[in-house]
Amino acid sequence: MSAAAVFYLTTLLVYVGVDILAVWSLNLQWGIAGIPNLAWILFQSAGAYTAAVLTLGPSSGNGGFQSYIIGARLPFPLPVLAGGLVAGALAALVGLVVLRRLRGDYQAVVLLVITVTATLLVENFPRFLNGPAGLALIPQPLSSRFASSIGYAWFYVALTAAVCAVVYFLVVRRITGSPLGRALRATRDCDFAAAALGKNIVGLRLFVFVVGGVIAGISGALLVEFITAWSPGGWMYVESLVVFTAIIVGGTGNDFGVMAGALLVPVLFNEITRYIPTFGSPYLVDALQWVVIGGLALLFMWFRPRGLFPERRRTMALGGPGTTVAGPGQAGVEAGRAGASQGSGAGTSTAAGGAGSGL
Amino acid sequence: MSTLIASVGFGLVTASILALAAVGFTLQFGISNLLNLAYGDTMTAAAFAAYLANRAGADLWLMLLTGGAFGAVVSLALNRFVYTPFRRRKTSLFGMVIVSLSVAVIVQNLLLAGFGPSFFTYQIGQSRTLRAGSLALTVNQLLIIALAVAAMLALHLLLTRTRLGKAMRATSTNPSLALGCGINTPRVVGMAWLLSGFLCGVAGVVLVANTTAFQSTTGNDFLVLVVAAAMLGGVGKPYGAMLGALVLGLVTEIAAGIIAPGLKEGFAFALLVLVLLVRPQGLFGDATSRAVAA
Repeated sequence: MSAAAVFYLTTLLVYVGVDILAVWSLNLQWGIAGIPNLAWILFQSAGAYTAAVLTLGPSSGNGGFQSYIIGARLPFPLPVLAGGLVAGALAALVGLVVLRRLRGDYQAVVLLVITVTATLLVENFPRFLNGPAGLALIPQPLSSRFASSIGYAWFYVALTAAVCAVVYFLVVRRITGSPLGRALRATRDCDFAAAALGKNIVGLRLFVFVVGGVIAGISGALLVEFITAWSPGGWMYVESLVVFTAIIVGGTGNDFGVMAGALLVPVLFNEITRYIPTFGSPYLVDALQWVVIGGLALLFMWFRPRGLFPERRRTMALGGPGTTVAGPGQAGVEAGRAGASQGSGAGTSTAAGGAGSGL
Repeated sequence: MSTLIASVGFGLVTASILALAAVGFTLQFGISNLLNLAYGDTMTAAAFAAYLANRAGADLWLMLLTGGAFGAVVSLALNRFVYTPFRRRKTSLFGMVIVSLSVAVIVQNLLLAGFGPSFFTYQIGQSRTLRAGSLALTVNQLLIIALAVAAMLALHLLLTRTRLGKAMRATSTNPSLALGCGINTPRVVGMAWLLSGFLCGVAGVVLVANTTAFQSTTGNDFLVLVVAAAMLGGVGKPYGAMLGALVLGLVTEIAAGIIAPGLKEGFAFALLVLVLLVRPQGLFGDATSRAVAA
């Protein structure tokens, strides 16, 4: 393989890893817990900007052509970890505003407003994060230890893969495959039934919102340290739609399904357009790419709303009546979910229907 | 002080545009329980339709009519051929938000593909500026204010004095009860989408007539302010949307005049978040539209 091909391949693999972290993060928030986080891209950006300002050093560097806050030069793993922390803190703050008292679709719209406001703030305070131009020339961590840029690229691929593995086994699987995950699904499917069973639904949502925020921040930090630049043009709110589409295509709520979605939607679509010979004006392919993303979301919502790899239906083992105390309630929630996914806001009827068919 | 008075003038113009748009947006939500995020891009599409009419020689009134008619047809078609079928398939409330966001992205990028990324301007001629002290507005801006006031009055009369308006209010409050009372709700919903689409198109044209240059993202940039105005008043409440538009119009322009022009929307959104923290249902919302959270 030529050096260019290897470089292309490694860059692609880093993007794959980052996109997989992205869909896991949003899948925890939306797929498992049902929080319509239209501001998802904001948390990825928070992580990216944090890692950037903690890697760049003082803003007088590089001839002082960009201005930003803090400006430290921390050793390698710290900027990425700090990116996760800051994104998580931001998620806690936003979550406290959004998740306590608002209805689901209101939450979506307020989150949308928040991400647009954040873009405005960053663009209008150039001293904060260098405004619309964004940050550039972020040094790649540990790159001086590698003789060749190819060797470094492979190192970064391995690093991204390792982060994915750690995040999956330490966080994602421990949430989705545990009683905690079951409680989260219950809050998604029928929140007052979950509340009636004694679950603290606001606490659960806040928790998963922060965890998803931390993963989003780490994904952004990993990406920015590799591509060395980040600007507001790259995190307009529609970028969140790409991650949503990946989850819808892959299978909402299914850890492996959404991974497949990450491979198909952000990765494959970005790559295919590279091979389309340019036709028309330069903006045309870009515009049509967005049309295709939107169309893909619509097609899947219409023909396969549960995605290519649907979430496994969790059914209770048949053990006769009165085996466990949680049994009927759980089945009720499960059946209520069929009702809730039928989407009427009228919760009492779905709750009653769920309990009825569950018994 | 003179900056403040001048800002109030601009604020009234912005509030008028915002009111036309926010009332249309909130009507759609009230009647269909759907946050239509494609609303801003429908505004842009209507603005482009009016632009084509303008190139063919139409004056401002004819452009308003063209934009309004185009917005009405697009909105009706969107509801009939996209939103209603998805609802019939029992797509969840938030699923519908994603559907409308996808539609928004598609419409906006089709406009980009068709018209390109450059800016467009209406040829409507420079209108005279009228001054009263430090308050200075062009004739066209006064026309926009008059148009918005007239539209709000007409809407008020429609909702309170006509059978159609009463049927709309009934459908918005309780669709199944309205259907049970013999109201032809599908027809009423269709009329509501036509009406709100007309307001949407008119708002798109006056937005562009006031800001002079526009492109494929103009309506979408304005949408967040429209949504904020509607939510501030309590989504689904036409009078709430009028009040929300007035408040946000004044806040944005006064903030722009006195504090920082780049942050005018920032102040509006901060205000929205503050209000929602205290009253999640918005200023005019009632307790039933509140969250079900514990």
